[in-house]
Amino acid sequence: MLTAAIVAFWFATLLYSAATVLYAYHFLSKRRPYSWYATFLTGAGFLCHTASVGMRSVAEDGTRLDGPNQLILLAWALVLVYFVVEHLIKLKVYGTIAVPAATVLMVVSQLIGGRTAGSVSPLVENWKIGIHVALIVFANAGFILGALASLAYLVQERQLKGRKPSMLFKRLPSLANIDLLARRAIAFAFPAYTGGLLLGVVRAVETDPPGWWQDPRVMLAGLVWAVFAVYLGLHYGERASARTTASIALVGVVLVVVLAVIARTVPAGFHVFGI
Amino acid sequence: MHLILVGLSHKTAPIAIREKLTFPATRQAEALSLLTCRECITEAVILSTCNRTEIYAVASDPEVGVDAVIDFVAGYHDLDPHELTRYLYIIKGDAVVRHLFRVVASLDSMVIGEAQILGQVKEAYEHAFEAGATSRAFNRLFRQSFEVGKRVRTETSIGENAVSISYAAVELAKKVFDSLEGRTILVIGAGKMSELTSKHLVCNGVESVLVANRTYERAVELAERFSGEAIPYEKLFDHMRHADIVISSTSATGYVVSKPEVADVMRGRGGRPLFLIDIAVPRDIDPAVNDLTDVFVYDIDDLNGVVEANLEERMREARRAESIIDEEIAQFMRWRESLEVVPTVAAIRAKAEVIRQAEMEKALKRLGGLSEKELQTIDALTCAIVNKMLHGPTARLKQASEAPDGYTYVEIARSLYGLDEAEAKHASGVLRNLLNRKAREVQDQSPASEMGDSFGC
Repeated sequence: MLTAAIVAFWFATLLYSAATVLYAYHFLSKRRPYSWYATFLTGAGFLCHTASVGMRSVAEDGTRLDGPNQLILLAWALVLVYFVVEHLIKLKVYGTIAVPAATVLMVVSQLIGGRTAGSVSPLVENWKIGIHVALIVFANAGFILGALASLAYLVQERQLKGRKPSMLFKRLPSLANIDLLARRAIAFAFPAYTGGLLLGVVRAVETDPPGWWQDPRVMLAGLVWAVFAVYLGLHYGERASARTTASIALVGVVLVVVLAVIARTVPAGFHVFGI
Repeated sequence: MHLILVGLSHKTAPIAIREKLTFPATRQAEALSLLTCRECITEAVILSTCNRTEIYAVASDPEVGVDAVIDFVAGYHDLDPHELTRYLYIIKGDAVVRHLFRVVASLDSMVIGEAQILGQVKEAYEHAFEAGATSRAFNRLFRQSFEVGKRVRTETSIGENAVSISYAAVELAKKVFDSLEGRTILVIGAGKMSELTSKHLVCNGVESVLVANRTYERAVELAERFSGEAIPYEKLFDHMRHADIVISSTSATGYVVSKPEVADVMRGRGGRPLFLIDIAVPRDIDPAVNDLTDVFVYDIDDLNGVVEANLEERMREARRAESIIDEEIAQFMRWRESLEVVPTVAAIRAKAEVIRQAEMEKALKRLGGLSEKELQTIDALTCAIVNKMLHGPTARLKQASEAPDGYTYVEIARSLYGLDEAEAKHASGVLRNLLNRKAREVQDQSPASEMGDSFGC
């Protein structure tokens, strides 16, 4: 079963890579058939990916929540979120952003996969932690998509300000559309992140490890939450320009990456995960 | 059949000549009837637009056909044929197919990629079809040309980028707002250019139009054309707060809109972007306004730059369109070759040979145990029957095909022997392949005049 899971994983990576090439070609040439093939390959890759995650869970009596596996789950969530967004916004150009990101996550998961998992803390052996991780993974996928869209917004805005339309200007969607995608992705991710953090806090209160709230990862997670709360508050309250909120989204996702790196490189403390 | 085209366009004739040579839709039936009643013209289509007048015809003799068409055009419009010839282009044979496909794909248009020409060619063909001026050749050629037009528009981006100042403004506004539905525009100055740009924006969904002009009456006049609202010039910046797009085209010598005023307007907008189009010379809007967040200013030079970049892109797409046209020409030629007598005779004989061999095989199975001599006799007998049956029809078909409307005989023969069915409907893959192979062998190896009775035996 584990072998089948590994084969399915590599099939998924291969299909995502092929879709990345096709999305890029579609982006450059604007030939519609390529976007259709790209979506088809992404869909096929997603099925392989799902099968791989499922088979690995069966083979290992549960889904491991170590670093590589979290990246694999994050890639899976990112593709799923992309499909939902594409269904809502009907623009395939976002595949050019999301699918390569998923492909990179898949490859990176294998590059960092050398370390063996440490002993599982009794703190983690609880259903709340499973849901906590699932929610955080989905939220991170939404944040990444929102940040990628925000980056596209800043690029497109710069093109419009520069008044010299390039190929990129023609290919990227309108500012309003990109901003809508960023807002929706983050608005979807934020409740999931909030729910995930709350479950983590509830579990921490239940087990009450000493000074749990002082853990740098817990504090950083709180900061990520605050940044995206500010993003949504400013955006929906119409109190800031889209350029400002796009920059905030980028800051937020940088913090998400820093959090992931800290989680992996600082094994001490209460909240050890991702190793 | 000989395809000919006699025409003139914006490339060869000035408007003073083009306007004299139009064929209005209401008079096309009459014109087509006058043209096709000439002995040498069997089919005709008249394409008459503001940029071109072209007469496509099928003639029994190309030289005579061209003379007849020129004579008809000159006579119809009461012009001197010699004077007229200076402005005409004459195209014959396969080049007519390429020309038509290029016209339909709007590669020959004044503005490459414009969309109207496909509809105009369709209309011209429909007039000719209804007047009974088309037959198999033009029915096929024009219908295929519509496919060419569709393919070029769907498979390339030839018509996607704006190539006029006012459309470029619309395109840019859509890059900011995505959809213009429900948007508000503020027009400063009631000039022609701002009216044209406003018209395009309104056609693309803009909901309300506000007009400000130093002379209030002119503002009212322009606002009425768009069911909009005229506003006092002094309250310009109060109303700008509610606008999404501003078009400025006044004759003022200094800036009408400056950075501090727009900065003030932007304060109460909650991050809503403002797109300003300055089409005045000298400029109305201070370029420094573009430095403000969520404000985008485009002047006439910027819009020209967009148009030029778009034209370059259309030229690139035109090269892709040419390759589509090459594919379609090849397809049309294959169809036309199928109407030639030699491959048709070869296909008839190939079909007969396939039937003969199949029947003989069945008969031999039933008979069984025949000697070599008996086999040869049966083979020779069946060959002789097939040859004698086909000799008369094929000889007469060859003779008839040389007549002016000879392709109709070929067409009938193909229909009677079911050749197109066998080839096109994939009735039998083996049969079709064999027929094609045999036909090709005969065409390659035997001179047309010698082909025939010895086939297959």
